Amino acid sequence: MGLDKEKLLELYRKMLMVRAMEEKHGELLASGRIQLMSHFGTGQEAVSVGVTGPLRQTDILFGTHRGVGEYIGKGMTPTDIWAEYMGKKAGPCKGKGTLHLADKKVNIPGLVSSLGSDFSIAVGTALAAKMRKLDQVTLYFVGEGTCNQGDFGPSLNMAALWNLPLVFAICTNQFCELSYMCEHYNTEDVAPRASGYGIGHEIVDGQDIEVTYDATQRAVDHARSGKGPFVVEYKTFRMALHFSGDPGGYVKQEDIDEWSKRDPLDLCQKKLFERGFLNKEEDKTLREGVKAENEAAVEYAFSCADPTLNDLFTDIYAQEGVI
Amino acid sequence: MARIISFMQALNEAMAEEMRRDPSVFVMGEDVKIGAFGQTAGLVNEFGTDRIVNTPISENAITGAAMGAALNGMRPVLELMFCDFAMLAMDQICNHLGQWRYVTGNQYSIPLTIRTALGAGFRMAYGHSQCLETQLMQAPGLILAVPSTPHDAKGLLKSAIRSDDPVIVFEHKKLVLGGVEGEVPDGEYTVPFGEAVVRKKGKDATVVATLFMVYEALNAAAELAKEGIDIEVIDPRTIVPLDKDTIFESVEKTGRLITVEESRIRGGLGAEIAALACSDYFSLLKAPVQRVAAPMAPIPGSAVLEDLYLPNKDTIIRAVKRTL
Repeated sequence: MGLDKEKLLELYRKMLMVRAMEEKHGELLASGRIQLMSHFGTGQEAVSVGVTGPLRQTDILFGTHRGVGEYIGKGMTPTDIWAEYMGKKAGPCKGKGTLHLADKKVNIPGLVSSLGSDFSIAVGTALAAKMRKLDQVTLYFVGEGTCNQGDFGPSLNMAALWNLPLVFAICTNQFCELSYMCEHYNTEDVAPRASGYGIGHEIVDGQDIEVTYDATQRAVDHARSGKGPFVVEYKTFRMALHFSGDPGGYVKQEDIDEWSKRDPLDLCQKKLFERGFLNKEEDKTLREGVKAENEAAVEYAFSCADPTLNDLFTDIYAQEGVI
Repeated sequence: MARIISFMQALNEAMAEEMRRDPSVFVMGEDVKIGAFGQTAGLVNEFGTDRIVNTPISENAITGAAMGAALNGMRPVLELMFCDFAMLAMDQICNHLGQWRYVTGNQYSIPLTIRTALGAGFRMAYGHSQCLETQLMQAPGLILAVPSTPHDAKGLLKSAIRSDDPVIVFEHKKLVLGGVEGEVPDGEYTVPFGEAVVRKKGKDATVVATLFMVYEALNAAAELAKEGIDIEVIDPRTIVPLDKDTIFESVEKTGRLITVEESRIRGGLGAEIAALACSDYFSLLKAPVQRVAAPMAPIPGSAVLEDLYLPNKDTIIRAVKRTL
C-alpha cells in the first residue's frame, strides 16, 4: 500500500529541499561565504525525511548534525535553518547554536553534537510525556556510529523499564565518521541489541521513502498506543564524506556505484511518475520552486543582522546578571 | 515560631513541600524510594512511585533523563548518591545541562535540581569521599549551592526546585548524617542564590568557608577569641553565583582574607576568591591571601591519613595567624 499523492509529493519536495540546501552549503563553504563546516547526509534523505513523516507537530524530535533532513522533515523552515547556520540573531537559537538546531515551534529541543548524550535526554522527554499524560511520542534519530556510546544501553533499558512512548530510529549509513561500520561493529545490524532490553525492533531498507515512512509509522503507533518503545534500523549509504574537512580516500568506488543505483530521490521520482502523481514538466517546476525558495532563504539569511557583544552574555541564566 | 530540625529533615521537608505545591515536581535517583542516606525517606508514602522514581545505576543516563523531563514540562529533583558518582554524569552536567538555554537561544530551559552528597570523614577512601563542587565552577549556566545549616539546606533546595535554571545542591555527609540541627521558620520561606551570610562578626580577619568547613571556621574563631583575635566568618551559601560584595566589604574592614574549603586547593574556590582579591580588591589587602583546602592528593582510607588530609580548625588557625 503506497502513500497518497499529497503525502508522497510532500516528502519528495522535502527531500529535494534537503539536497538543495546541502549542495548550497557546500558551495557557500567552498567560496568562503559561510564558515560553518558541513556534515552532509547525501543519499540518506529517505531516512532522515522519512522518519519524520509520521510525526505530529506536538511530537518531539531529536536529530543529528548530519545535514538538515530531519529538521526540514519535522517542519523547520529553510530560512530558520540558514539564519541559524550563519549565526544570525534571527535564527531560532539566535545564532548561538549554528549546527545545533533547535526549534520549539516544531518541538525540536536541541541537538547534541558530541554524540549520544541525547539518548537519555530523549528518554526524559518521553518520561515527561508519560507523567503528564500527553499524547506525544519522542523520536530519537541517530546514526549507527553513535550507538556505540555509553548511554545507548542505559537509555534503552530505562525506556523499556518505564514503558515510554519513544522510538529509536537508527540510520545505518555504513560509516562511523571516517571508518566503515565494520571497523566499529562485529555485527551488520544494530537494532537486534534492542531484544536484550526487551524492546521490539525492525530492520528496513532506507532508500525507499515509503518503506522508511511505513516502518516509522508502525513504531510511532506502537509507542503512541502505550505499548512502549520501539527500535527501527534503516539501511542506507552516506554518499558524502563525514565532514567538510574530511581527507576522504576510504570509500570504495564499487559501493558508491552500487548505492547510486538506488538514490532515494530518483526512487521517489520514479514512483511519482509511475503512479501519475507527477509528470516531467511538473517535476521541473517543482525543482525550480525548491531551488528558488532555497536561494531566497539564503539571501534572506545573509541580509539578517549579526548578534552583538551584548548577546554574548544573554540567555545564560533565566535572569540576566548571574555569572 | 521556629522549630529545630535536622539537616536531613530540612532536605526532606523541602522536597515534600515543593511536591505538594507543584505537581510537576518529582524525585528520581538510585534508591530514592528508600533513600540510601535518608533524605528522601518516607516521601513515597505520600507521593507514590509515580513521583518518587527509582532509577537504574546509570548516572550519566539518569541525569540525561532528568534533563529531558525538565525540557518537557517537569521539574525533576535528581539525586546522585555521591558527588564522586556525579563525575560519571560530567558529560551531561558540563557539556549540556548549563548550556542548553544559551545554545537554543532561550527557547528551552532545564529546571532541574541535582542533589548530591559529598565530603570525607567516613574512612571510605577515594571513591566515596571527594568534595568536587568547585570543579563545576568552570561550567557555565549552573547554580551551585553549598548549604551549611538546616535553614539554608531547606531554603536553598526550595529555591533550586523553583528555579528555571539548573541548580546543584551539595549536601555534606557530615551535615546530613551527623545529626546537625538548626532553627527553621515554621512557615514558608526560601533562601535566595548569591547572598552570603556572616556567621560570626569580627574585625581582624575575614574567613570565607563553605559546607562543613563553616563549623571548623567557627571553632577556630572561638579558639582565636581566647587569644584576642576576632575573625569574621562568611558563608557564601552559593559558590555560583558568588556574593563578592559581602566578602569584600568584610575584607575592606579587616584587610585580611582566608578561604577555607574541603575541596582540593588547585583551581578551587580559594583560588578564585584570591584571584578576585588580587585583580579587583588588591588595595584592600594588608597581607597575602591564605587558602586552606585539601591537598592535591587522593583521599586515603586510613583514618590517620584521612584526618591529616582534611582541613580543620587548627589549619584554619594557623592560616589566620599567617595574615596577622
